[in-house]
Amino acid sequence: MIASRLKKITSLWVVIVLLLFVISIILGILMRLNQGDVIQLSPVTFYTDMTVHGLTMISIWYVAGMAAVNFIMERYVTTSKPANIIALVFTLIGVLMLWASTFIGKFHAGWTFLYPLPFKEMLKAWATPLFLFSIAVLGVGWLIWCVSLIAGMLKKYSLAQVFAWQYFRKGPKTETPPFILISMITLVGIVTCLLAAVILLVLLFAEYFSKGAFVNDALLIKNLTYFFGHTIANEMLYLGLAVIYELFAEISGKPKWKTTWYVALAWNCTLFFILTAFFHHLYMDFVQPEGLQILGQLASYLASLPAAGVTVFSIVVAIYRTKINWTLANLLFFIGVMGWVVGGLGAVIDATISNNFVLHNTLWVPAHFHTYNAMGNVLFSLGFFYWFSFQFSNKMDDNKLSALKLFFLVFGGIGFLAAFYIGGADSIPRRYSNYPDEFPLAKTLAIIGGSFATIYLIGILLFFVNISKRCVKILFSRSS
Amino acid sequence: MCKNLILPFILIAFCKFTVYCQPTSGWQEEVNIYKQIYNAPITLINGEQTSIDKLAEKKPVIIALVYTRCTGICSPLLLQLKESLQLNKNNNNYTVLVVSFDSRDLIPDMRQMAHLFNLNNNSHWNFAITDSINRLISSIGFKPVWNNTIKQFDHDALLVGVNSQGYISKKLVGLRNEKELELMIGSINNVYTPTYRLPGQNTLFSCFNYNPITGKNKPGMGLLLIALPAILSILLLVVINKFVHRKEEV
Ligand code: HEM
Repeated sequence: MIASRLKKITSLWVVIVLLLFVISIILGILMRLNQGDVIQLSPVTFYTDMTVHGLTMISIWYVAGMAAVNFIMERYVTTSKPANIIALVFTLIGVLMLWASTFIGKFHAGWTFLYPLPFKEMLKAWATPLFLFSIAVLGVGWLIWCVSLIAGMLKKYSLAQVFAWQYFRKGPKTETPPFILISMITLVGIVTCLLAAVILLVLLFAEYFSKGAFVNDALLIKNLTYFFGHTIANEMLYLGLAVIYELFAEISGKPKWKTTWYVALAWNCTLFFILTAFFHHLYMDFVQPEGLQILGQLASYLASLPAAGVTVFSIVVAIYRTKINWTLANLLFFIGVMGWVVGGLGAVIDATISNNFVLHNTLWVPAHFHTYNAMGNVLFSLGFFYWFSFQFSNKMDDNKLSALKLFFLVFGGIGFLAAFYIGGADSIPRRYSNYPDEFPLAKTLAIIGGSFATIYLIGILLFFVNISKRCVKILFSRSS
Repeated sequence: MCKNLILPFILIAFCKFTVYCQPTSGWQEEVNIYKQIYNAPITLINGEQTSIDKLAEKKPVIIALVYTRCTGICSPLLLQLKESLQLNKNNNNYTVLVVSFDSRDLIPDMRQMAHLFNLNNNSHWNFAITDSINRLISSIGFKPVWNNTIKQFDHDALLVGVNSQGYISKKLVGLRNEKELELMIGSINNVYTPTYRLPGQNTLFSCFNYNPITGKNKPGMGLLLIALPAILSILLLVVINKFVHRKEEV
């Protein structure tokens, strides 16, 4: 029996995430419209919006994954409600601080706040420390949450079991549910990248408060920034996958997925390789040692391919020539996995050193990461939200409306992404507030992208209304 | 127990900080790099009227900014430059232009300075004055400050490398060795140098430490810091595991 408190906290997470998502999409559409010259934003406003959009999106889809994992984990182990609440409060405070530093203080160094931009790109002097503190607040809340979930799992499973190492021997005597394995692998990765963020923030604060007496090494800071940023952006996808491993078969009326030696191997490889894949962000940094560049390319392949392979295999086996109870939730999971795979391929193309010479910092980059986020991870979490909101209600959803919602999401999403991909293939640079005349296609593509994104937004609004209504009911219900 | 470990660690870290943290203001070699230098009209000590661009067109130029009444760094700067250039046998495609940034200096003052350093007949060296000194130094980012008490300028020892197209390609602040001068001569001849360390920066957590004598980079503390999060999270995992099981036993 899921504790009533956990139900309520999860409902709150769902409503907050969807609300912030709508706001962040609007910022995204404004950026596209500005790039298309339909509206005129000052460059500072554009980059402020870009910073808020990027960091809010990463934050909300990370916490969405965590909230889902936490909710489902209660089936296996007891989870800490205070840790969940602390994370919620810290996330809200962190986001408010972030918005104050950006919207009021005009901090606009992008969500990766690449050194030395944090010390240069703001209009108010307090904006930089406030921005850094906002990351610290988010990080502390999330670290506490992760550690509490890891502790919960380790109470029940031994270290070897939680990583499913018994499957590497013949005849394993104990079982590790795939959900537990993937959650553990992912949470350890998240803790690692949050620790990288701690070191990063300490170094940035040291420079800030020493008033220039202490100067950082740009290469070190860039490595740490992507250790944190790239890793968390990828790990949050795996949180969604953990949920799919648990729920896809269940919702589809199929037997539960089991851990096998190859699932265990694939996910254990993922743990190591995802922590080293970020080196592919430094291909253009000639001072980075060559060995790390090669490791970056290998890790990019090895972090994504095994996990994607076993997941797609498991889904294909589950649906191939069998009758499935298709609901909106497992449809969202299914389409989400396709989006993840397509985006992953786009990422692997970009992570290949020879291709990166051409694609580096072009629109190809937002193309692939928006694919596995907007059409991947978002759908994983929406699937969970949808399933969750129906768990505690007797009403069924209207099928016609479901089809319409899905249509808006998929049609709008594909058009929005296509504009990015075509722009990337045409070498149009990313992060330009206004495109110069040298890129004749850029403005048209931006308008097309913005229009399709508006269709995607309509789909999200329909989901938002539908899911939030039920979540608000759960929130204010008296039942246990 | 934790307190016993943490406090000394913080103290040691801060002691190290104070040693390493030399103020960097005025040590900014990167300022105005790849910008066009102001094409100031100059008068050489032989009376020839020319300009910086015209000189640079013939051969890339190393500009030394000094003044004749300087009782501080100007003489050591020129002396060291002269000695280091004598050691450089690799590339002779440059000239040195010594320009006074003190408007009181006249041609005879500069002539005497050249004479003092025994450089008046050296084809690699030119001494000059300009009536556009403010525009010249602001295009370089050089900011001498007049100190009325000691009647001297407070200023950096600065060498500015200008290539044949009139672009500032490298600056050297302070008295620097011949290896670094070689890098400067390379840079004004448009030879690409992938990396070199900027002076005055805290080297505590660098990924690599550049050795100007060997010209090689050695791995530094920074690389360790990149691995640190992974090491810490393994430790954390072990600690959490121990902690939850110890609690169970209790
Ligand atoms: C329909 C929804 C969305 C729209 C319209 C949108 C739009 C945009 C635009 C126009 C940019 C700037 C592109 C450029 O570099 O020129 C951007 C950047 C970004 N977006 Fe989105 N986006 C959407 C969804 C998402 C989602 C779901 C996520 C993540 C989970 C996300 C994360 C980011 C990030 C991290 C950046 C980079 C920001 C930076 O460079 O600092 N976006 N988005």
